[in-house]
Amino acid sequence: MQKKSVRVFMSFICAVTLVWAFVPMAHAEEIIIGGALCSTGVQAPLDEPGLKGAQVAVKAINDAGGLLGKKVKFVNLDGKSDPVTVGNIAVELLDKGAKLMVAPCDFDFGGPASREAQKYGVVGISTCASDPLYSSWSLGDKQFTLSMWNTTMGATAAEYAFKERGWKNAYVVTDQFIAYTKSLSKYFIAHFKNIGGTILAEDTYTNGDQDFSAQLARIKALKTKPDVIFISSYQPDLGMIIRAIREVGIDAAIMGGDSYDDPSLFSALGEKFGNNVYFVTHTWMGPEAHKDMPKFLKLYKEYYGTEPDTSFVATGWDTIMLLAEAVKIAGTTDGAAVAKALETNEFNLLTGKLSYKTAAEGHAPDKASVLVELKKGKPSFLGWRRPASPPAP
Amino acid sequence: MTGQIVQFGIDALSLGSLYALMALGLVIVYGILKLVNFAYGELVMVTGYTLFLLNGSPLPWLVMALVAVIIAILTGISTELVAFKPVREKSVTAVLITSFAFSTLLQNFVLLFISPRARQVPLPDIFTQTVELAGVIVPLRNLLTIACAFIMLGLFSWALKKTVLGIALRAAASQFRMARMLGVPANLIITTAFAISGLFAGVVGILWLGRIGSVVPGIGLEPLLVAFIATVIGGMRSLQGAVVGGFLLAFVDVSLNYLLPQHLLQFRDAFTFSFVILFLLMKPDGLIPGPASGERT
Repeated sequence: MQKKSVRVFMSFICAVTLVWAFVPMAHAEEIIIGGALCSTGVQAPLDEPGLKGAQVAVKAINDAGGLLGKKVKFVNLDGKSDPVTVGNIAVELLDKGAKLMVAPCDFDFGGPASREAQKYGVVGISTCASDPLYSSWSLGDKQFTLSMWNTTMGATAAEYAFKERGWKNAYVVTDQFIAYTKSLSKYFIAHFKNIGGTILAEDTYTNGDQDFSAQLARIKALKTKPDVIFISSYQPDLGMIIRAIREVGIDAAIMGGDSYDDPSLFSALGEKFGNNVYFVTHTWMGPEAHKDMPKFLKLYKEYYGTEPDTSFVATGWDTIMLLAEAVKIAGTTDGAAVAKALETNEFNLLTGKLSYKTAAEGHAPDKASVLVELKKGKPSFLGWRRPASPPAP
Repeated sequence: MTGQIVQFGIDALSLGSLYALMALGLVIVYGILKLVNFAYGELVMVTGYTLFLLNGSPLPWLVMALVAVIIAILTGISTELVAFKPVREKSVTAVLITSFAFSTLLQNFVLLFISPRARQVPLPDIFTQTVELAGVIVPLRNLLTIACAFIMLGLFSWALKKTVLGIALRAAASQFRMARMLGVPANLIITTAFAISGLFAGVVGILWLGRIGSVVPGIGLEPLLVAFIATVIGGMRSLQGAVVGGFLLAFVDVSLNYLLPQHLLQFRDAFTFSFVILFLLMKPDGLIPGPASGERT
């Protein structure tokens, strides 16, 4: 008797689970935004801030009455820094009724989520993938990235170095780990040569080596001393490279991209080595960058109880706000209509003014970027820049 | 020219010292259990995060470093208690999985409670100062690393030869069953091996972090890989082999860094591993094969 009741109970549980699994998550009065941002693995440092910012944005939208009269629900499942998992998660969320998709901050890891969204006719957007591969060319006509492309990032750095500071000779070090680090150097070099600068030499670093001595020997052996050293790598290796360069007394300017925008780099360099370093990034956490920044920071602090530890949190906020704005303009969450709204409007975001080219032109983001200087280990805001003609991807 | 040779010598020696210590920490456990501790890299990570958490405390740096090394030793011992002891007599596969699981557990613990992003570790000035040697500016920490490694290796080999525990360890490494029959307490020896492994990982951690300046949850992967390759080159069961293997691997890496032309440099790891494969084809047992007891006990 008892055995039988257990069996009945178990089959009841199974039935309930099955029914629950097939009932769509969406209630009529909810708009679901799916997310496949990674909270574990190598991609986690890049995705975690975006995820945090996105959650603050969703709360802010709901507190202000929701979107198209409906509540917004953001469901993020851990992509585990695995492209296959990211794709599977995207399918799962889309099956359950997600109308918009937030993809991880990298082409390799974020691409699968966008590809699945495209199959479902849903707009997908990466929080901060900056490789030009993240385009409608490779992913489909409803896919976008919130970030400027590396073409803009590299060109901004090159123009600042050559035109504003008059640095004529550059030395470039490229970390060979991912598409981001390689393409950033490529576009910096292309634009720097284009506007008349000289690349003295290029060097390579392997991520995880923690040994920069051979490259250092080559920099020291250069006949012409470089005015600026462009390093495309990221933390924690980046801190080690810059320290190694400064320790041996090379005090040339050092430049890089948004991977420098990391407080752990500032503290790793400290007062002693954190000088004459410049980088191009998404935004600046102060009212100088955007009038709404203090409001975002306040909401962030209310939500988490702490200040954000990197400006990348703004990319998550912006991703959600950009999607919401486009849905409002379109008046629907229909993929084609939202994509059209994104293509045909300019948006004023915390991470800069942004307008997209058409799908035929790759959805290239025309976006402003921020220049930051590191002085005595403290970052300071140099202003917004928007290069006139970044190199073609 | 002399400048370049001095530079190269110090670079290769200091990287080699680190690799040798890493390899020795791994092989001390392998030698006795014939099992690779895949959670070895996490001992380095734990050292780093202990330093990070102690940052800002009034303790002098040396005390912080000492605490960090002690925590690494304790983590090493708990690896044995959590991942190895319950299953090691039953199946090799199980131990492989439990040590992976323990490694993932530690990493996710840090991801969850600290951050996936890099965190700065406190370092004394001596790690960022430089000295001039034969016209070459050398970071003081490279010399420190070399000195530290030679002291550790010297002390360790003395202890292995002259202390009762050391002799028991060596006996266990060459014929574990025989050693047990002659009264060497198995659990004590194994726990000691894990503690020594933790000690090496802790010291490596401090020196490795001294180069990097900050710690991330995945920081242990590189030391684990390096240690594994170095022990394979050196001979999986021999302690001297691990040390020689570590120095050789560093020598190959640094030479390739210096000698490869720019467009080939990005494939450096391919060259390193080709060398390892060629080497193993010629000497499948490694440089110093060690005692001939391949059996797992």
